Order: sequence, then C-alpha cells, then structure tokens
Amino acid sequence: MDIKIIKEGQKTIVILDGRIDTSNAEKFQNDIAPLLVGDNPDIDIDCSGMTYTSSQGLRSFLTLQKSVNARRGKMVMRNMNPQVKEVFDITGFSNIISII
Amino acid sequence: MKKRFNPIKDRASEIIEFLMDSPDIPQDESLRFKLRLSIEEAVENVVSYAYDGGIGWLEAGTSLDNDSLILTIELRDAGTPFNPLEKADPDVTLSAEERAVGGLGIFLCKKMMDSISYRYEDGNNVLTMTKKIAE
Repeated sequence: MDIKIIKEGQKTIVILDGRIDTSNAEKFQNDIAPLLVGDNPDIDIDCSGMTYTSSQGLRSFLTLQKSVNARRGKMVMRNMNPQVKEVFDITGFSNIISII
Repeated sequence: MKKRFNPIKDRASEIIEFLMDSPDIPQDESLRFKLRLSIEEAVENVVSYAYDGGIGWLEAGTSLDNDSLILTIELRDAGTPFNPLEKADPDVTLSAEERAVGGLGIFLCKKMMDSISYRYEDGNNVLTMTKKIAE
C-alpha cells in the first residue's frame, strides 16, 4: 500500500494505491497518523488504486472517521472499486463514511 | 492439499499465500477477492490469538468436492479452545461514534463464504468454510 498525502489549501487529498492487509496494516495505521491531527479537517480520499482491504484496513478508516467527526471536519472516499465497496456495504461502513 | 505450519508467529502472510496458491482456488477475480478476505481473517485470528506468543502450529488446507463445485477451506490448530462463531455479529446500523473499532473479521468470513462451521476435535480447533465456485 502506497499512500500520498497532499495539502491543497484547506483540503487534504489522500491517494491510496495497493492492498491493505495483515502484512501492512500497522504501517498503514502509521501512514495515516498525520490525518488524525488538526482542526476542521477536510479530507478527500481517492480510492481508485485501492484493490483490497481486510478488516484491519476498516479499523483504520473507522478510527479516522471518528477522529474527523470529533474535530467537526468532513471526509469523503471516492472512486472505490466495486469489491472494496461491497466490504464497506456489508459492514455498514457505507452508512458512516461518505462514499461518492 | 494441506500443510502444517509450525511455528506460526509472524507467518500469517505466508499461510494466506499458500492457500491462495492452491490449485483448488478458482481464477475468477471476484471469487478470489472474497476467498482471500475470508482466508486472511480466519488465519489472522489463529495466528494472533490461538497460542500464547504464537508458539504453536496451524494446519491449513483446501479441497474440492467430487464435482469441483464446492471449495472447502479448513484450518486446524491445537491452541486455546475457542469458537469464533459464538461471538455476536456487530450491529452494522450504528453510527461511527457508537461503533467499536474491530470485531469485523469473522463477520466478514460469514458474509463472504456460503457456510462456516467450528468444531473442537481431538484437542484441536477446526474451522471449516465452504464456497460454491462453479455452477
């Protein structure tokens, strides 16, 4: 999993590429740590390159969404592939994370 | 085919790839996604929790029925007796604030596979998952 974090004015663009699984879940959690700080976050996550996530990845996304909510910010995930989207649907994450 | 991994500490990825490389696993990408996810969650459970410190073995295997329609994945370990299916499913209607972080692994297995069963046999935990892979 490669992750790029780009600041564009008030917005934070995140580009995900690859798989989030057992082998790299801890690294991913560390990689997104910069997104867990700061006031009024506005985070836009491009998921077009994310080919797979296990429950480990879901943990990180829920932690991130909770953090964004607590800081009265907003977050969207976009361009999710259908199979990854199904994982978010089944687990109810589609209801708590804005997926466009 | 099946193989016994011993010890299993830090070897989840290797065990997952062993199963995914089995000739019993179909090539269809959508099926492979579901199978990989189920295998990963189930293997990760054993590697992380079955033994104190991960010192112990896991036997991982795949098989097909006579008509090659139904794939069976079986995981066997001699760790602490534990039935992962007894755990209540998460409430997927809760808000982000109400949701606990974690507890989704076996739930995903249940959703992705056609059946999942557990038995304690000869001092072993045995988890069996099946999936229809052809018409």
